[in-house]
Amino acid sequence: MDGEERELFEKGLRHATANHTGEALDAALDTAPTTAVGVVLPPLGGWDAPGRVEGEDVAVGGVGTAGLRRHTAAVVVAGTGEGHVAAIVETARLVLRPVGGIDPVLGIVEVAAGRVPRRDRAPAPPAAWPAALAAGQLAIGHELVGAARQMLRLARDHARERIQFGRPIASFQAVRHRLADTRVAIDAAEAALDAAWDDGSPLTAALAKAIAGTGARTARHHCQQVLAGIGFTTEHPLHRYVRRTLVLDGLLGDARSLTRRLGDDLLRSRRLPAILPL
Amino acid sequence: MELDAFRSSLGGWLDGHAAALAPGHVGAGTLDDHMAQLANVKRLAYDAGWMRWGWPERVGGLGGSTLLRAYLAEALTSRDLVDPGLYSMTEVLAPTMIDYAPPGLAATMVPRLLRGDETWCQGFSEPGTGSNLAALSCRATRTDDGWRVSGQKVWTSLAQYAQRCVLLTRTGPPASDHRGITALFVDMATPGITVRPIVAMHGREEFCEVFFDDVAVPLDRTLGEVGQGWSVAMDLLPFERSTALWQRGAFLHLRLEQLLAAAPPGTLAPDEVGDVFGQVYALRARSRATQHRLAAGQRLGPETSVDKILLATAEQAVFDLVAAGLADGMLAGDDADSERWRAEFLYSRAATIYGGSAEIQRNIVARRLLDMGADR
Repeated sequence: MDGEERELFEKGLRHATANHTGEALDAALDTAPTTAVGVVLPPLGGWDAPGRVEGEDVAVGGVGTAGLRRHTAAVVVAGTGEGHVAAIVETARLVLRPVGGIDPVLGIVEVAAGRVPRRDRAPAPPAAWPAALAAGQLAIGHELVGAARQMLRLARDHARERIQFGRPIASFQAVRHRLADTRVAIDAAEAALDAAWDDGSPLTAALAKAIAGTGARTARHHCQQVLAGIGFTTEHPLHRYVRRTLVLDGLLGDARSLTRRLGDDLLRSRRLPAILPL
Repeated sequence: MELDAFRSSLGGWLDGHAAALAPGHVGAGTLDDHMAQLANVKRLAYDAGWMRWGWPERVGGLGGSTLLRAYLAEALTSRDLVDPGLYSMTEVLAPTMIDYAPPGLAATMVPRLLRGDETWCQGFSEPGTGSNLAALSCRATRTDDGWRVSGQKVWTSLAQYAQRCVLLTRTGPPASDHRGITALFVDMATPGITVRPIVAMHGREEFCEVFFDDVAVPLDRTLGEVGQGWSVAMDLLPFERSTALWQRGAFLHLRLEQLLAAAPPGTLAPDEVGDVFGQVYALRARSRATQHRLAAGQRLGPETSVDKILLATAEQAVFDLVAAGLADGMLAGDDADSERWRAEFLYSRAATIYGGSAEIQRNIVARRLLDMGADR
């Protein structure tokens, strides 16, 4: 992709994500050839590959985006016990349950199948699944940061406009410090994500996703409080970001589980990985 | 010199001179021990050239990117050769001299600081002026040939060792706030200066009260313009959060690794270990980006308060974990290692207080980064 193409792509992506969500967003993004076949993701909260190879078949348990139903085929990365294969399965053979849940607008579907035949048995290179997972974690991490920044903007604007005791509530230190902490959490998450792109390892991607999930939790907590009554209504957009970040945190590993797994690994090795050179 | 070349040749030099660079003390050590060690390391590193990279040639440097300085500080800290807090005074005060001192004065003085021949201190806070720095009252009065300074400073780190002091004084009317401040470069041997060290909670005479009684300061020791001392102070503060902060991130990374090696099995909770490692990583990621912005010639400003908040939070989190993982030694150990862990744990309690408190940093983020207006 050259500079001009990249710019066009970015513009299109921005337009699509700013104006659509859920299935409509999937449809808008479907012009990109990479999404012509659907993808099954790990189940919410987890990060293990969503499929398991069983003889000639594959057992599937995961989630998909709203657009999965419109594809005739889907990629299911499946564990063989030793490695992974990228299996192609017919979507019609999968049991798809539209997920209402806390963010019904997102329109994800739960995907399950006891055993379905797989069309493609090519083994994936050993690092392919960790690399794909890492890229997904970083992408969702950035989406968490974007949503958290939006919550911060809404809360900041409200704090400047809302007058109590004869002055904007933005002048009260308790309110200011909540939003300052939110800004710090968001900036930390963004720095962690940027550094993880530079580093390119699965470890830093998981870590950055965890930091972004934690940062979004901080943003939800403080912005909801600052937006108070109006932020608790569906007349204000805050609830959409609250809902969305909760589900995004669960996709490809939630912050708590990723953090604990990392802690387990560190305690086992008793060493810190030498990452992030200047 | 490029960073990669610097990294590998510095590594070779540090390995080759390990014996000469090694501290003479074990465990916590006294402040005298640490100061002697710092001077030794700086002298060796300066004479070998390492300490001169990243500084302009007009003050005895060899030029090159500020990243070289940040990496040198990291490398010395990762090998536990210097106390990062003591070392960082150089990174904070030398840039101020380079930017604001008359060129001849900077050319004479900065090499002495870099080589460890001299210690400098920073006279900012006063008994009545902590967070509200702009209200300082230590007065400098113009005479025919310079200034006469009278007043008091407090929390002045290393004043008992210092040959020079970067001093903020009131030269405007008492209520002139940030408009009536002038920065001076004062010889600590001048008659009329009394230094009284204060023993801090971690057992070190970390900082001092400094009394000025009609102290004469020559006019050519004025840093920047008369009445512009506030800019000197404001330009200095981001340096506390740039190279010095990257070094402190390396220090926390090192201590966390040493904690993992030393903590008895079962004393550390995995979710806490993961969380603290994440905090140190995020701090280092943020600070790393700041180092590269500085090296690219960007001006550092209020956004470095984010770095400072991350540092203070991570530092206390690391040492809270130390208190959990090494509880026996922290509470009752009288061996050298326990003494060091205990001193550093106690010192970490100050991380949210010094260099602009956690509350002041959040006020800066709210006002300058979030545009939330004044808080009064």
